[in-house]
Amino acid sequence: MFLRLIADNFARRPRRKLLTAAALSLGMAVATAALSVSLDVGDRLAREFRSLGANLVVTPESDSLPLEINGVDYRPANSGAYLAESDLPKIKSIYWRNNIIAFAPTLEISAQAWSPASRNFSSPGVASRVIVIGTWSGHDVPLADGSSFATSVEKTNPWWRVSGSWFQENAQECVVGARFAGQNGVQVGDTLNLSADGKTWKALSVRGVLATGGNEDDAVLVPLGLAQQLADKPGQYRKLYLSALTKPEDDFARRDPKSMTPDELERWSCSPYVSSIAYSIKQVLPGSDVRVVRRVAEGEGRVLSRVRVLLGLVAVAALLAAALAVGASSAASVLERRNEIGLMKALGAGSATVGLLLVAEQSLLALVGGCLGYSLGLILARILGTRIFGVPPEPSLLVLGVILALAAAVTLLGSAIPLRRAANYDPAPILRGE
Amino acid sequence: MSTANRSMFWRVIRRSLFANRGRLLVILLALGAGAAVTAALLNLQIDAKRRINSEFRAFGANVVIVPGPDPQRNWPATLPESLVQTAAAAAGENAEVSGLLYTIGIVEVRKLHGELPVDPKMISQAVIAGYSSRDFSRLYPHRVVEVSQPLGYDDRLCYVGEKAARQLKINARDSLNILRQNMETGDDCFVQEIDSFGGTEDGQIFIPLRAAQRIAGLPGAVSSVALRLPGDSREVQQAVQRLQSQIPGADVRPLRQFAEGEAQLYEKISGALTATIVVVLFLTALCVMAAMTNVAMERKNDVGLMKALGGSVRRVLRLFLAEAALLGLAAGLLGAALGILLSIALGKAVFGVPAAPRAIVYPVSVALTVIVAVLAAYPLRRLAQIRPASVFRGEE
Repeated sequence: MFLRLIADNFARRPRRKLLTAAALSLGMAVATAALSVSLDVGDRLAREFRSLGANLVVTPESDSLPLEINGVDYRPANSGAYLAESDLPKIKSIYWRNNIIAFAPTLEISAQAWSPASRNFSSPGVASRVIVIGTWSGHDVPLADGSSFATSVEKTNPWWRVSGSWFQENAQECVVGARFAGQNGVQVGDTLNLSADGKTWKALSVRGVLATGGNEDDAVLVPLGLAQQLADKPGQYRKLYLSALTKPEDDFARRDPKSMTPDELERWSCSPYVSSIAYSIKQVLPGSDVRVVRRVAEGEGRVLSRVRVLLGLVAVAALLAAALAVGASSAASVLERRNEIGLMKALGAGSATVGLLLVAEQSLLALVGGCLGYSLGLILARILGTRIFGVPPEPSLLVLGVILALAAAVTLLGSAIPLRRAANYDPAPILRGE
Repeated sequence: MSTANRSMFWRVIRRSLFANRGRLLVILLALGAGAAVTAALLNLQIDAKRRINSEFRAFGANVVIVPGPDPQRNWPATLPESLVQTAAAAAGENAEVSGLLYTIGIVEVRKLHGELPVDPKMISQAVIAGYSSRDFSRLYPHRVVEVSQPLGYDDRLCYVGEKAARQLKINARDSLNILRQNMETGDDCFVQEIDSFGGTEDGQIFIPLRAAQRIAGLPGAVSSVALRLPGDSREVQQAVQRLQSQIPGADVRPLRQFAEGEAQLYEKISGALTATIVVVLFLTALCVMAAMTNVAMERKNDVGLMKALGGSVRRVLRLFLAEAALLGLAAGLLGAALGILLSIALGKAVFGVPAAPRAIVYPVSVALTVIVAVLAAYPLRRLAQIRPASVFRGEE
């Protein structure tokens, strides 16, 4: 009889039940979407932030003090130390290898340049001085496990814009800085001759013009191997830019690892703080000095933690609104049943029986609405995640559990107040229509 | 509408509003919650723009002025020092500006208490950066590694990059004698801080501009001017154009690295907030719609009666729409006010600074709530089809 009453109720008023269920499942869909996006968004945001570029810079440790002004190093070409390119694959073998998004070594040399097509100089005799930066573009680093890691300077410096295309590795090609190109009348497709010593020249074809807003605008970028040949430093580089996903630093992260107890050291090195990643990179690159680019790392950490809190709060707001809406509609659905309740009581049903019946109905509604809402919410989360953050969030079972519990709690809570009043109804006036 | 008609109109509305207090509460609650969330998120969205701006200012200088293309190719290319004042005036009050002059000097370290350096020949070349204003320490974000007590030589303080300090064995409170190449006498300065910048600045020694100009032999010159301009990327772009037109000989470069990052990040946050607002309003509408469906069923008799007494469909519908709009208005006025209060607290939780309430948010969220309430009254459309006779017969 009990079950028949419930079944009857659903069958008799499909339209009303449908609307309540729709409100419930949509509310839960919103809650699901908000939860999945906000649970998943942390990593996404950190990745987004890597568009600020490299947050770690590696230089040789025993290097003499760099005499670098506006990107030009005034040390004699042979002074100072270099690092070995062959050590670079080891970076992808550290504990935090999956946090390393990209790295690119550079070798800067001072050279002379002339272009037959340029307006300003017509023969090698009046070549202009230029900084040549050797680096990686579209480079595959072979790893120890046989796979390879694709990285490039565009990934460590994502704000660089090239009109034309990047140079190919192993080709006699280059990319020129925008200011250099403007001053010397060099265009894409021209040939540019470069020489470090003024005697042997290399003819490179210009593939693109690079705008960075920095010193690179005055430079010429070539494949690293080519720069090594020009500088006569085979297999060596001088600076490595590295972009890593990190956890915002707190006071604990800033402590000196040498002063920590073993327990603390373990906790420290098991958190992806930028300083602990720097520390483990230093371990695998002999003779290197790994520095944190404070400008990027600290600003990033601060903004990141704030935005995370903000998105968390937005999720809570959406959750609250969904809970309220669902609660309100289930309250409304109980309110509409005054007549029925009056009739049931007139026929001898106790308050407990009536309450139980309504609770069972609402729970069924919550279960159906919650499940429906969860699947709807996953679609919504996919759409929102893709539109806003570029990648859809992963569906999680945790969210399903939370949603079902929330749906049940909110529906029952929403119906509790009208239910209590319904239990106290006096059947006579209701049946009389008063 | 005559006066009598109007007063009747409001009386009907008043009566029907309070006919079912439970449902009235449900609708008000749903609309109010929607209005509150809308107002809170809208306000936060406007505030987030400003906050992210100021957070991004922690990244330091966002514009540099460097010498423009020089046909004579003089070395080193410099700018006149007067340009620092020009730029500061053009950039406005809230900007931070410092001229910088880079040169190479010979550094002699004199340890505190006069003890001799470990190696008496500890003389080395280093890049010297002259600063024209103490603003430079905010233009180049850093972490202080070692700091000295206030030294009292305000015009002779120097700041040493971490790498330079390690290489030359400099500590805070040491004094440095910095000479020009091939010259006997130099400038003294006192090391106020050892700083870690994480860039090329780590190998540099920052000294007052006058001293750097003497060492470089370039009186009245700076190599570049670094600025930190307030405002969002569009405002910065406008300021850059203004600066460029006032300083024709130089090259004003915005640092794209941070400007682009900021714009992208704000876009994402703004997108997330807008999506949440839309979704919440939709939810509110749905909830109100569910309640209104019940209203429509319950009012069949009333509407039948009204029609039987000669009320036109339009007038009857107007009655219900007015009711919905009134509900939306009441809930919106109350909810939006609550939401703005909420956003002040949220702003404090997120950014550490209470969000400033914006006047525009209030009318916008109230209007949105009223629109949602009226749209949610859509199920009442069915009342138009009611035929009084069949209602009274109890057929429908």
